[in-house]
Amino acid sequence: MTAQALVIGRELDRLDGLGEDGLSDTYRSYLEIVDSYDEAAQPKLALAAALIEAGIRLQGLGGRAAPAAALLMGDLCLARASRLLADNASQNLQVAFARAIEEMSATAASGAGGRPVRELLVGAFENGR
Amino acid sequence: MIAKRLRFKTSGPTQFVDITEQLREEVRRSGLRIGRIHLQSLHTTVGLAVNENEPLLLRDFASLLERLAPSGAGYEHDDFARRFDIAVDEPVNGHAHCRQLLLTGFTTLLVEEGELVLGRWQSVFAVELDGPRPRELAIQLDGQFDEASSPLAGEVAGHSPARGGFQAGNTLNDKDLVELELTRQLMVDPDPVAVPMRRLVEAGGKRLRPRLVQLTAQIGPHHDPLRSAALAAAIELLHNATLIHDDYVDESTHRRGRPTVAAMEGAERAIAVGDFYFAKATRLIAEIGNSDVTSAVAEALEAICAAQIDDVALRGAFPGDHDSYLKVVRGKTAALFAASCASGALLSEADPEAVEALRRYGDLLGVAFQMADDMVDFSPSSGKPVGLDIRQRVLSLPLIYAAEDREVGPEVRRLLAGALGDAEVGRVTELVRSSDALQRVGDEARGLVEAALRELEAVELDGLRPTLVGLARSAVDRNS
Repeated sequence: MTAQALVIGRELDRLDGLGEDGLSDTYRSYLEIVDSYDEAAQPKLALAAALIEAGIRLQGLGGRAAPAAALLMGDLCLARASRLLADNASQNLQVAFARAIEEMSATAASGAGGRPVRELLVGAFENGR
Repeated sequence: MIAKRLRFKTSGPTQFVDITEQLREEVRRSGLRIGRIHLQSLHTTVGLAVNENEPLLLRDFASLLERLAPSGAGYEHDDFARRFDIAVDEPVNGHAHCRQLLLTGFTTLLVEEGELVLGRWQSVFAVELDGPRPRELAIQLDGQFDEASSPLAGEVAGHSPARGGFQAGNTLNDKDLVELELTRQLMVDPDPVAVPMRRLVEAGGKRLRPRLVQLTAQIGPHHDPLRSAALAAAIELLHNATLIHDDYVDESTHRRGRPTVAAMEGAERAIAVGDFYFAKATRLIAEIGNSDVTSAVAEALEAICAAQIDDVALRGAFPGDHDSYLKVVRGKTAALFAASCASGALLSEADPEAVEALRRYGDLLGVAFQMADDMVDFSPSSGKPVGLDIRQRVLSLPLIYAAEDREVGPEVRRLLAGALGDAEVGRVTELVRSSDALQRVGDEARGLVEAALRELEAVELDGLRPTLVGLARSAVDRNS
């Protein structure tokens, strides 16, 4: 097991089942687009984005509300992503990610269809440089 | 902080009014040494600009505005037959509104060494777009003032806005600043998220977390009331965001006497509003620009979410035990109390020992606060429905102690194991009151407060000790 895998595994504590739920694939997709960031931070930034995507999906944001247990798991994904960003991302990137979630949730609250989560988070990586 | 109004009369339809000298005079009179002066137009047809005061250039600007938004170009706004509630003196001014859109309505200028920071050719203009008229700009000056001319040490003096949730009068205290900041933040958000959050925020709440931020932000050598108010308001928004999701999970219909977001606007909206303010609060905290503060709050948020999962999982073993209770409460309640104390101290650049002592103070206070909150559920004079925690099977220390009681315990456990209708809830409440459970919880909460206060003994608190002591004691000796 690599050091990177160990770190990622530790960050998935209490988030059992996300691995089978496509988190690994999502993580790898983001890993491909964070290469302009500090190398040591790349895995954590990619994981933060993957967790946001997973969290939003678990909560059912913009669709049908998730049951309580799934909502809470989604909340934990978002909170963990937030902590990963607080510890590893620049202020610009933290702000860009927060704005992406604000846009998603404001759109969901208004009942309108919004841009896909992936597109918003990829945009956040671009804006946060 | 000083807040004022700058009033002037314009003399033409389009006019660049140079207000640079007036602003310089305001800075001089205020005694502001280093900081900012904020300007905001109070009109939809007056803009602000920083540019060169050269008469031919000003004519160029006027021509540019005329080309971009020509007067009399057939604006829908000027079609009075299609508008409602038109004032008798309503002007034909669609062009002026459109021109204002091209400018800005607010700006901030820096002040250093008691002087406005402007480049050689820069002047500040209020741009009249629909004159001539009397006009007004709001200005605020904040930062470090000369001791001699500072309006008030530790307080904020100046204009008292006519509306808003803060005290009338000539000074703004810390609490007012937080209310003002909350109002300001909620004013700029889209209605689908802002309206439900405003309902929750305006319904009250104890504002203990922001208070802790503002107090501890005075402990280190760098106390900035505006930055601490910004952090305090963000933490209050974060707390309220977690409550919105909690209410959906707990199926609560009311909070602070008003319908919950889930009950009134539906679960989908509740999730979206919670997420929006979760993100906005973390952004506001990131924008403060202190990475230690950002990390402290982020860790607390993670602890809250993990504890909420534990809390729901433990409802299967209701009423649970003391250890499980402490684990959940440390995360759900105490984590944000601890982060509030630590982040305020970090913001003021307090020394690390003080930060850690305050973090422990907040943690112990948070647990004690939750215990006192549990007791309120059994108090008929609290103004809240009695037995709500029982009905919702929420982890509660009085219930845990009553269930362990030799005399009433067996009946309490039997009742809690079955369906909980009005009769059962009433009977459990009666049994808890008749046992020594409430006394034990009260004693334990007061013990924790004393432990919290001991954490402060070795810390230099710059005169804040009595306030922190009073706040801690009042958090447990309460009835609501």
